[in-house]
Amino acid sequence: MNALLQVDGLTRRFGGLIAVNNVSFEVATGEIFGLIGPNGAGKTTLFNLITGLTPPSSGHLRYKGADITAAKPHQIAARGIARTFQNIRLFSGLSALDNIRIAQHVHTHTGILAGVLRTPAARREEQAVRERALELLRLVHLEQRADEAVGGFSYGDQRRLEIARALALAPELLLLDEPGAGMNTNEKAALSDFIRHIREQFNLTIVLIEHHVPLVMGLCDRIAVLNFGELIALGSPAQVQNDPAVIEAYLGE
Amino acid sequence: MNLALFFQQVVNGLAIGSVYAIFALGYTLIFSILGIINFAHSAIFTLGAYFTYALMGARFGFNGLLAQTALPFGLPFPLAVLGGGLLAGGMGVLVERAAFRPLRNRGADPLLMLVSSLGVAVALVNIIQYLVGAEAYSYPNALAGLPPSINLGVGGVPLIMRTVLVVIFIISMLILFALMRLMNHTKAGKALQAVAEDPVTASLLGINTDRLILLTFFISGFLGGIAGTLVGLSVTITGPYFGITFGLRGLAVLVLGGLGSIPGAVVGGLAIGIVEALVPPDLSGYKDAVAFAILLIVLFFRPQGLLGRTFIQKV
Repeated sequence: MNALLQVDGLTRRFGGLIAVNNVSFEVATGEIFGLIGPNGAGKTTLFNLITGLTPPSSGHLRYKGADITAAKPHQIAARGIARTFQNIRLFSGLSALDNIRIAQHVHTHTGILAGVLRTPAARREEQAVRERALELLRLVHLEQRADEAVGGFSYGDQRRLEIARALALAPELLLLDEPGAGMNTNEKAALSDFIRHIREQFNLTIVLIEHHVPLVMGLCDRIAVLNFGELIALGSPAQVQNDPAVIEAYLGE
Repeated sequence: MNLALFFQQVVNGLAIGSVYAIFALGYTLIFSILGIINFAHSAIFTLGAYFTYALMGARFGFNGLLAQTALPFGLPFPLAVLGGGLLAGGMGVLVERAAFRPLRNRGADPLLMLVSSLGVAVALVNIIQYLVGAEAYSYPNALAGLPPSINLGVGGVPLIMRTVLVVIFIISMLILFALMRLMNHTKAGKALQAVAEDPVTASLLGINTDRLILLTFFISGFLGGIAGTLVGLSVTITGPYFGITFGLRGLAVLVLGGLGSIPGAVVGGLAIGIVEALVPPDLSGYKDAVAFAILLIVLFFRPQGLLGRTFIQKV
């Protein structure tokens, strides 16, 4: 298996609580990998560990073979890992366009002085950044509202914009934290199609936290199940669905 | 007051107000990303004025460690202003490393950083006094070759302005223009807005927040240093406490315009400059009182300042 992300014995304690306990798995290049589990199972903590927001207590993280365990969030982002949040974290006071432009800046080269003087090269790059941002807005059908402050956008629009912003980093690995939260069944079906579509278009590997079982089962190539911080099952949707430990975790004893 | 005099005072007020604006922007930038007021800013303002003085090759006075010394070279005033601003920016960076970052890394309450910055301000003022004494300094022949006043009037109506105020206004406008470009057309400017909104998300989008904060302190120090030089040019450098009264006025501008609002700092600066200029000469001792009275009245109706956002999210 060609592993893009390797999670190796990852543990995170918060005081006496073990939020993530000795979790190991690999995510293969190009797959859609589901992360499920009851509330408080440690799924979001795992995302925070992978993106460098929370340093692990022990264990290792490797991305494309390189050790990123101690890397800072901005370094991890620059390596090509992008994410969205369970509770959307857009820059609500900024326009849709600016939200996306900010994420593109990892890949721009214009220095401060050139930007202030607006040299021809700086203007060209600014124009290129703008065009690419508009392209991404078109992808999520928000190009008409490029200059509006995003605080006023509907919930669904904000969710899609947050994904577009993550794509602006030009990531290879995209972490989606409950992208379907608050959506109805039709919207969830459309979301599935959208996630498949962006995987093809941008050659992405996707790790996805989701509670809605049909969405996860239909979309993911493989699924990991967490419960109380421990990995209790890992496999194809069919394997996981019939795993007694998973059934017990979800239904209780 | 006749109309011609009124206009003249308004224009004078715009010139001084533009300096208030760039000075207050130094507070604003740091407030917008860290949510605190950097009291060391007024000391950096003072330092900037002295840096420019030294870079012009001028000799220090009779007191202090550097008495009767001067640099072996002297820069022309425009270059010295720029150099003074850059050195003041460097001081801003030092202040962030010494007084802010250690506390931030330990997750200290922002209030502690504010107190720490106050400590830095006092220390810097004392260091200045130790080095160059408490005497007043003025820039030697800064505007040599220019007439003392310029007539900007049109159609036979005179509008006489002191040349120094015209120079101050032009330099301030250039700085404001550059800052506007920086905020809107550079990645640092956009990143600054992002960090101001949400530093965690900004870091996940590849923004190195620590480096950005350093840059912000540099820009803030640069603005403070230039403002100090321009005020020193207009009156004199009145001594190590030069920046303290001015610092209060900068805070008034910051609050009047709206904490953390960049356009607010500009509008607030110009407004206070004009109001002060319109105080009749025989009441000029009450300039500060008038400016602060206006601040209080505005805050009574708009607690968030003229262009500030309502207080909701900032910690």
